[in-house]
Amino acid sequence: MNATAAVISVRGLTKRFGPVTALDGIDLDVRRGETLAVLGPNGAGKSTLLRLLAGLARPSRGSLRIGGGGDGDASASRALARGGVGYVGHATLLYPALTARENLVFAARLYGVDDPAGRAGSLLRAQGLEAVAERPAGEFSRGTAQRLAIARGLVHDPAVVLLDEPFAGLDRAASERLLERLRDLGRSGRTLVLVTHDLGHASALADSALVLVRGRIVHRASAEDLEPARLEAAYLARVEAAS
Amino acid sequence: MNVLLAVLWKDLLSEWRSRDRVVSMLLFSLLVVVIFHFALPPGPPAQAQALAPGLLWVATLFAALLGLNRAFALELENDALSGLALAPVDRGWIFLGKAIANFVLIVVVQVVTAGAFGLAFGAPVLAHPVGFALVLGLGSAGISAAGTLFGAVAVRTRFRELVLALLLLPLLVPVLAAATRATTVLFETGDLDPAPLRLLAVADAVFWISSYLLFEYVLDE
Repeated sequence: MNATAAVISVRGLTKRFGPVTALDGIDLDVRRGETLAVLGPNGAGKSTLLRLLAGLARPSRGSLRIGGGGDGDASASRALARGGVGYVGHATLLYPALTARENLVFAARLYGVDDPAGRAGSLLRAQGLEAVAERPAGEFSRGTAQRLAIARGLVHDPAVVLLDEPFAGLDRAASERLLERLRDLGRSGRTLVLVTHDLGHASALADSALVLVRGRIVHRASAEDLEPARLEAAYLARVEAAS
Repeated sequence: MNVLLAVLWKDLLSEWRSRDRVVSMLLFSLLVVVIFHFALPPGPPAQAQALAPGLLWVATLFAALLGLNRAFALELENDALSGLALAPVDRGWIFLGKAIANFVLIVVVQVVTAGAFGLAFGAPVLAHPVGFALVLGLGSAGISAAGTLFGAVAVRTRFRELVLALLLLPLLVPVLAAATRATTVLFETGDLDPAPLRLLAVADAVFWISSYLLFEYVLDE
């Protein structure tokens, strides 16, 4: 597959929760190696979009294809799609009673990684978590837990990484460190989809952005539109017009 | 299979570290023994022995409900349930790992509770150990399979404790009736009654197979 091929392809994606339409006819392509920022006010459907991409929910209508797997409703096909995706959510997905190393070994075993202990060790080193490897995750600060959550999301070396508000609850220093780690992820050739409220982080990280309001895409920003002032002006104008 | 073992290891290790489920289950079931020991009017030992099987299974069921509710509540902390749902595997293996972990905890609690019933009511729990283990195992297997499936269904609802009880208790009537009957016959005659054991085996097979197949959809949002 060449570098410009869409690694995520979404057509007419709709998700309803009872009478509420959370996403309404989303069309979207994300190229291999691209970092896409998904912006929008609360309740716009950003997290729902990410959870659909991750395979945590089924679409009410439309199609969704990630990498080599994943269109259709077959369980095996959906499982294949989940295998190519790393997900870092609002919450850390960690077990507080397990140590950092045990959390990573468990995740590696879930993903069928060949050497779970070795992979956990290398991720702990990469994230600078060796000193706390044998401590229970329940004792970690928000920043440390978030670093471990990112390591968990990368445990199977996914081609696509989905990040849902990864900066939430972090102080300034921890945010800067996370920003640098996400830049490294982008530079490693992975495709990133980043849901955030922070236009500054979107400008700093993304190659493109889209703005969701009430489940619909109201604005698409290309690389040249991501200059912070320009992005903020466009965001405010579109959100106000659509609200 | 690796996923089954991973989930089983994770659940049992978490429980070993916290012990919150097994302690609450044990406290409840032992409390039932103590209360009924003092509440029942004095009478011949045979009368108390006749009540013991029913009381044992009532204590087991409600202690299991406590543990099953907690099993998935733990997965909600940090949204770890989504971490399980993201695994690129047949989710039936996740069900099997969790259901076997629940089975182990229920059996541990049941063995201690049975000992307490033996002491308090003079129930012959050690007279026929192989037969008694078979009945306990078959009954607990049915409770843990159905309880794991419906625990996963109920966990994302607002009143999850109530929802789990409402879904689970009617379904478990055949299991409880058969287990109580088999235990009663075993205590009275020392024989295994094939009719309730057959019913238990069929109910267990239905619960384990259907839960394995349905778990794929239960973990979806």
